[in-house]
Amino acid sequence: MKVPYTWLREYVPIEASAEEVAARLAVTTAEVERVSWRGVSDSNGNFGNFRVGRVLEAGKHPNADRLQLCQVDVGDPEPRQIICGAWNFGVGATVAVGLPGAVVPGGMTLERVKLRGSASEGMIMSERELELSQDHSGIMLLPDDWTPGALLADYFALGEPILELEVTGNRPDLLAVYGLAREIAALYRLELAPPPGTDPELVGDEPVQISVDDTGGCPRYVGRLFREVKISHSPPWLKARLTGAGMRPISNVVDITNYVMLALGNPLHAFDLERLAEGKIVVRRARPGEEMRTLDGVDRSLDPRDLVIADANKPVAIAGIMGGEESEVGDDTGSILLESANFEPVGILESSERLKLRTEGSNRWEKGVDPHLAEQAAKLATELMVKLSGARWVGHADIQGDLPERPVIRFRPERADELNGISIPPEEQRGLLERFGFGVAKDWTVTVPTFRARDITREVDLVEEIARVHLDQIPFTLPARRAMWGRLTREQRLRRRIEDTLSGIGYVEACTYSLVDSDPDPRAIRLPDPLSAEHVLLRTTLVGGLIRSLRRNLDAGNEEIALFEIAHVYLPGDGDLPDEPVRIAGLTEGGFARAKGAVEALHRALAAPEPSFEPAGELPFLHPRKAARAGAVGWVGELNPELAPGEWGVFELDLDALAEVVRDVVVYEDVISYPIVKQDLSFVVADEVAAGSMIEAAREAAGAEMRRMDASDVYRGPQVGAGKKSITFAVAFQSSEQTLSDEDAAALREKIVGALGDRFGATLRT
Amino acid sequence: MRGTRVVQMDVEQLEQEARSALEQAKSLEQLEELRVRYLGRSSELKLALREVRDRETGMRLNALRQSLEVALGEKRSALEHGELQRKLLTENVDVTLPGEHFVEGHLHLITQIRREVEDIFLGLGYMIVDGREVETTHYNFDGLNMPLWHPTRLPSHSLFLNDDVLLRTETSPSQIRVMEAQAPPVYMISPGRVYRRDTTDATHSPVFHQVEGLAVDRGISLADLKGTLLHLMRALFGEKRELRFRTHFFPFTEPSIEPDVSCHMCDGAGCPVCKQSGWIEMGGAGIVDPNVLEFVGYDPEEVSGFAFGLGLERIALLRHRVPDIRLLWENDLRFSRQF
Repeated sequence: MKVPYTWLREYVPIEASAEEVAARLAVTTAEVERVSWRGVSDSNGNFGNFRVGRVLEAGKHPNADRLQLCQVDVGDPEPRQIICGAWNFGVGATVAVGLPGAVVPGGMTLERVKLRGSASEGMIMSERELELSQDHSGIMLLPDDWTPGALLADYFALGEPILELEVTGNRPDLLAVYGLAREIAALYRLELAPPPGTDPELVGDEPVQISVDDTGGCPRYVGRLFREVKISHSPPWLKARLTGAGMRPISNVVDITNYVMLALGNPLHAFDLERLAEGKIVVRRARPGEEMRTLDGVDRSLDPRDLVIADANKPVAIAGIMGGEESEVGDDTGSILLESANFEPVGILESSERLKLRTEGSNRWEKGVDPHLAEQAAKLATELMVKLSGARWVGHADIQGDLPERPVIRFRPERADELNGISIPPEEQRGLLERFGFGVAKDWTVTVPTFRARDITREVDLVEEIARVHLDQIPFTLPARRAMWGRLTREQRLRRRIEDTLSGIGYVEACTYSLVDSDPDPRAIRLPDPLSAEHVLLRTTLVGGLIRSLRRNLDAGNEEIALFEIAHVYLPGDGDLPDEPVRIAGLTEGGFARAKGAVEALHRALAAPEPSFEPAGELPFLHPRKAARAGAVGWVGELNPELAPGEWGVFELDLDALAEVVRDVVVYEDVISYPIVKQDLSFVVADEVAAGSMIEAAREAAGAEMRRMDASDVYRGPQVGAGKKSITFAVAFQSSEQTLSDEDAAALREKIVGALGDRFGATLRT
Repeated sequence: MRGTRVVQMDVEQLEQEARSALEQAKSLEQLEELRVRYLGRSSELKLALREVRDRETGMRLNALRQSLEVALGEKRSALEHGELQRKLLTENVDVTLPGEHFVEGHLHLITQIRREVEDIFLGLGYMIVDGREVETTHYNFDGLNMPLWHPTRLPSHSLFLNDDVLLRTETSPSQIRVMEAQAPPVYMISPGRVYRRDTTDATHSPVFHQVEGLAVDRGISLADLKGTLLHLMRALFGEKRELRFRTHFFPFTEPSIEPDVSCHMCDGAGCPVCKQSGWIEMGGAGIVDPNVLEFVGYDPEEVSGFAFGLGLERIALLRHRVPDIRLLWENDLRFSRQF
């Protein structure tokens, strides 16, 4: 909402500067995006450089066909010679003149110049040059009763500050200059002018044919009839206000409807009466299959839920949103039916959403407009219609449904103090509420004004009214605690340890989108109406995002790439909502062994038993022969080289599954008191026997005193024969009860040799 | 008698001579010669010891041997130390050469900030809740007192899976779930991903991280909210920060406010970061609306609460002067390794 400051001052005698008011409003009322300026700068007496001028002589410039040479009376003893490029005026025209020294909008300073040998002492201005409108088709023609030499600023707001407010949805009353003036009057304890608009005399009694079929959607419809309307331009003061408020002046009648909307907050619509079939207005829902072309030239098919304004035959406007092209007011319009209605917000919001059509009007209706405003809006519009278009007001109708009651609320000032954490004397609270327009009875029964009736229905809403003007006085305290503690859950601690371990072994944490363009799981949840083709599916794995990040890093020429991410994935389940387990995924240079090493290191760091790795067959993303399940915790593998050049190790683990195998408390095991006996054992065995199975068999045979058995070397070659390999294990024996003798160690070794011989046909190399 | 000769051997003179020789030894080689001469197999002392017969003489000679061995040991240590020192002085390292290379990992900036915020609230006695991201309209809107006409309920603002299920638009639904599950008091924060139908640009992302805070107890007030957020903002942006409240509107709080923190770049003097206002918007907050408390079965006359929501990306952008939110999602190592 852009509010021209002098317009505001018409309703409230505020002395403070626009910047001061903006700073205050920002805290108590609504965000002020900025204070801007429309029109001519007023600094250093600049307004004095812009005067009313009368053209005394005008003719072609002797040396330039396209220029006029004028003598203009600007109130000085002698007329000034001014050269002008426009031709839409002649002798006797009243014009706007900028004198040498004048700073025009945009910052340029006018100077005395010579054009094709003739002096020009000033400039005859167009509306655009004064920021009154976009019109630059010729210079601006002023009413002939304006006095030459008088300051333009005496007739209209030549330049002024504009408050640019961002009003929250609960304060539609502030989407009006008068509403904002009312708020400022309350904040600054100033007197508010009565609402603008006084009915002129009704000079006819023509019937206004209005029927409202749906008073739920349209609780009020004030219709007024005007004859002998003369469509023309609006006067400069009106153009200045509309332009300042961010709207484009169009014609007097359209400008009046916009002006009233801006002044009071009630959108209006003017219909060309002659173009309404049978001169009738019917407010109803659209019929199935109905269509109409709106003012923006778009053909719209209507939904039976859309509220429309129709004539005897067909829709002529989408209620509250946009008028129709056919009944639009044009240059030849002579009779007007003016609508000052009230529409129910939700229906307007839904229609505007369905039609993807948002307008200044719909924006106000969807937030809820005070139904009592329609009558005042009609008055202001009527006053201006008669004054500015010379129209005769000849008919009036006011159809009312059930208008809402004003809410009545029991208020406890001490309750406000409790919630706000600040003590404000009850009488001060009463005074504040009264200034905001609430009726406060002796027993603290509060009656809400109609313009706040939608927002304020409960005691706590009144508490906010007290709070918002005292926000800077509220002290800083912490809650006084009686109970509760704070600590990380087991899963949260585990997650942090995983993050720390992976970053500790050189992995950089990534953060990738949960919505992806493709996913290996065909059941992945698909958004029916996605934001873009890149964000269509809810991922079931984190790996896709890591691959994307990998490619980006490869493209960037980055080196030593190792990435991990910990995040939710989304697995369709039986219920309404998917399962959202937390996954840990990693992607590193160096292939299968590198990724597996990270998974092993992670298990060691978490003091979790190492998972058994088993060939996994084909898994998405992975090399078909280099993929393993890591127990129940997840999988590890090598990226299929189709997905990225080079050898890349990948893993994905499940946080809950990992939490299962991590012990809550690690119990001390004596690995210090008695010495460890180390041996290297080499076996020749069939090539397909997995080292892991051999270790498992050895552990079964030798029991707990075999502390470690790690494959340290694998050899294939002529010495061991075809289809065979030699595999060397570093074995460590240790007891936690005694020192193992050479005989003990030999016995353990024999158990292992025996078991591997029996199970795998392995023979010990000596 | 040979024994007599030993006894006649001038022990004192031998000791004096040996000690003085040890004293003057200059090298380990010299020292070894002296050891052989005075304590070696055929040294005068060893020979005498071998032949001695009377107890008194034996004790005297043994004492002499021991004291000479100690003196020899001390001298050896001294010479070794001296030699090592001389050797060290001949060694050199170019300290400006790089150290041996380790690849270091990094936590994502958002994780670092998330943990900071978590730790601040753990210190205040809050629990941390990891909420779900796919939510029902029941928890995402109804429970939060979101009126039927509120624009976030529209598919043009939010990402729906069907009429009743959507990607949560804020972390607040987890508050409702926690309050439903337990009686007051509740002190919790909930960090996590949230989703909006926003087109990606320098400051917007359809997915981003929020942290939601909630305190419900007897007598919770706006002053408690103000104190808590001041503590948080000073922890995040420095001890000099100030906090102010501006009025605002949110369906789930009443009164609703937006907290502003004084600009950490200019200390409130006005600069491009704070758009010359001296203040930076940090999110939304307020006193929990009584409808929300009633929705979970709490009595608003018995307990009150405050709630707030902040964007973690926003904190990252502001504090670390990251110019574009997309940098946080691209995972370019040249970015990640800075933090």
